[in-house]
Amino acid sequence: AAAALCPCRLLFARCGGALRPLCGSVRGLAAGQDTHFGFQTVTEAERREKIYQVFENVAKKYDVMNDSMSLGIHRVWKDILMHKMNPSPGTLLLDVAGGTGDIAFRFLNYVRSVRERQLQQKLKHHQSLSWQEISESYKEDKSESPGDSQVVVCDINKEMLKVGKQKAQHLGYSKGLSWVLGNAEELPFDDDMFDVYTIAFGIRNVTRIDLALQEAYRVLKPGGRFLCLEFSHVSNPVLSRLYDLYSFQVIPVLGEVIAGDWKSYQYLVESIRRFPPQEEFKAMIEDAGFLKVDYQNLNFGIVAIHSGFKL
Amino acid sequence: AAVRCQLCPPQRALQASAALRRVSDEQKKEPLASSSQQQQPFDSHPTDHQPEQDPQGPRPSYTGQGGQESEDYESEEQLQHRILTAALEFVPEHGWTAEAIAEGAKTLGLSVAAAGMFHGDGSELILHFVSECNTKLSQLLEEEQKLVQLGKAEKKPTDQFLRDAVEARLRMLIPYIEKWPQALSILLLPHNIPASLNLLTSMIDDIWQYAGDQSTDFNWYTRRAVLTGIYNTTELVMLQDSSPDFEETWRFLENRVADAMNMGSAADQVQSTGEAVVQGLMGMAVTVSN
Repeated sequence: AAAALCPCRLLFARCGGALRPLCGSVRGLAAGQDTHFGFQTVTEAERREKIYQVFENVAKKYDVMNDSMSLGIHRVWKDILMHKMNPSPGTLLLDVAGGTGDIAFRFLNYVRSVRERQLQQKLKHHQSLSWQEISESYKEDKSESPGDSQVVVCDINKEMLKVGKQKAQHLGYSKGLSWVLGNAEELPFDDDMFDVYTIAFGIRNVTRIDLALQEAYRVLKPGGRFLCLEFSHVSNPVLSRLYDLYSFQVIPVLGEVIAGDWKSYQYLVESIRRFPPQEEFKAMIEDAGFLKVDYQNLNFGIVAIHSGFKL
Repeated sequence: AAVRCQLCPPQRALQASAALRRVSDEQKKEPLASSSQQQQPFDSHPTDHQPEQDPQGPRPSYTGQGGQESEDYESEEQLQHRILTAALEFVPEHGWTAEAIAEGAKTLGLSVAAAGMFHGDGSELILHFVSECNTKLSQLLEEEQKLVQLGKAEKKPTDQFLRDAVEARLRMLIPYIEKWPQALSILLLPHNIPASLNLLTSMIDDIWQYAGDQSTDFNWYTRRAVLTGIYNTTELVMLQDSSPDFEETWRFLENRVADAMNMGSAADQVQSTGEAVVQGLMGMAVTVSN
């Protein structure tokens, strides 16, 4: 059945922006302005609903799909994000749309190793510690405590949070980690709370990006940093064609085969095309009040890391 | 794309900057000075409305992103300078690293994440420090020159002047001497060499200017090259000097400067000897040919 559906879907994808969705374009009067869902036009309320469903469906297979679609490179992207952040122990991180916890776990590992290195340096300088002091410093279970660094994972989708919590339990992360259900456009946190705000592959699913950026500005401390890891625009024409080919031919098929869900992965590749390119997104971040906004392209623009400071 | 633009009307949120101070805060000292001369009673809390005060006076105004109200805020560069200056006090403990910058940012009330604005290897911190030291040196030399011009101090002979200038500049390293080798090695990294070389040459040039160098020939280059050599070697000696108050270093410096002075006269002597020898040979040749 999937094979029979294939040609029709491909045709769908090819038509690009001129689509009129088969599921009807019901424009509820009170459902907000028109926006896009992939290449379709829907109302804001519909969009939120559809995206919620997408992630509800894919939650269990989210990590597997990430690995197969990006051939494991998404791990490198997230590692690069962490190195760019270079958090010091004692940092408070808010990871929005952090669902299955990839960024949060990397953060905890990073600050843990930084703290260990710092303690080693300190011990090297202390020539005259008594045996009791030395044994006490080993007694503290270093492998457990990330110091006073904390990460709050916030996601709008219950299923994604559930998968994340299970992963945390399975991998043994417990201290310094909390899970909150919340909407990026209206965060349930006070002002000036966090040192770093990250959103990895999540902001293109937010319906009102400007509101999310304003909320990010609000909850960050003065001097705090905004980091966004997101699919972006490939300017190289040759690479762009190959990338399009891969995106529209391979990824939805993988989605059907591995996760049994063609439509969600079709939405994924379409939403990537709809997201503003690097410079435009940089301007949006500046509009929210961030300063020293910059971006770094990874893999020729397939992915970009945008960074801004609340100064 | 058109649909999306409708949703985000371009309104620049004119939010008061969280950390950039109003320039007028920093200029409180100046109106106090000027108004005391005019014998006007001044407020202890001058308001932000100072129409006669040009906010663009000593400070470059920040005019990025079309936010009109941010014109009298300090710029991002100034904030970065403040963070780096605050970070210097943590260098003896953490070295020239991003941790020192993070601690510095904390003392200013900013989040530790602000250290992300700088390179991870601490090079900006070191360059900032070197540039500050050079500025201090220039100010010192300027003041000395003023005293000489006013007749309140004698003009020093060149070698004494050079010795004092180099000693004054090297003394600024004393609080950070333990971590200075690390700093030197970072300054030698390829991506830092242009900046560090620039700072070094302008400092040496400054010293010679105040020493009264007015040469317009190749001497200009020789003098600067020699002084650069003296400065660098003295710095290296200082790094491994353990004598009280670095006496060994200053003695080394004295010897090198004396060598340099002698070298000048030695070069002249060589030249005149060479000329004499050549004349002698010519004479012999003439004699023989006759």
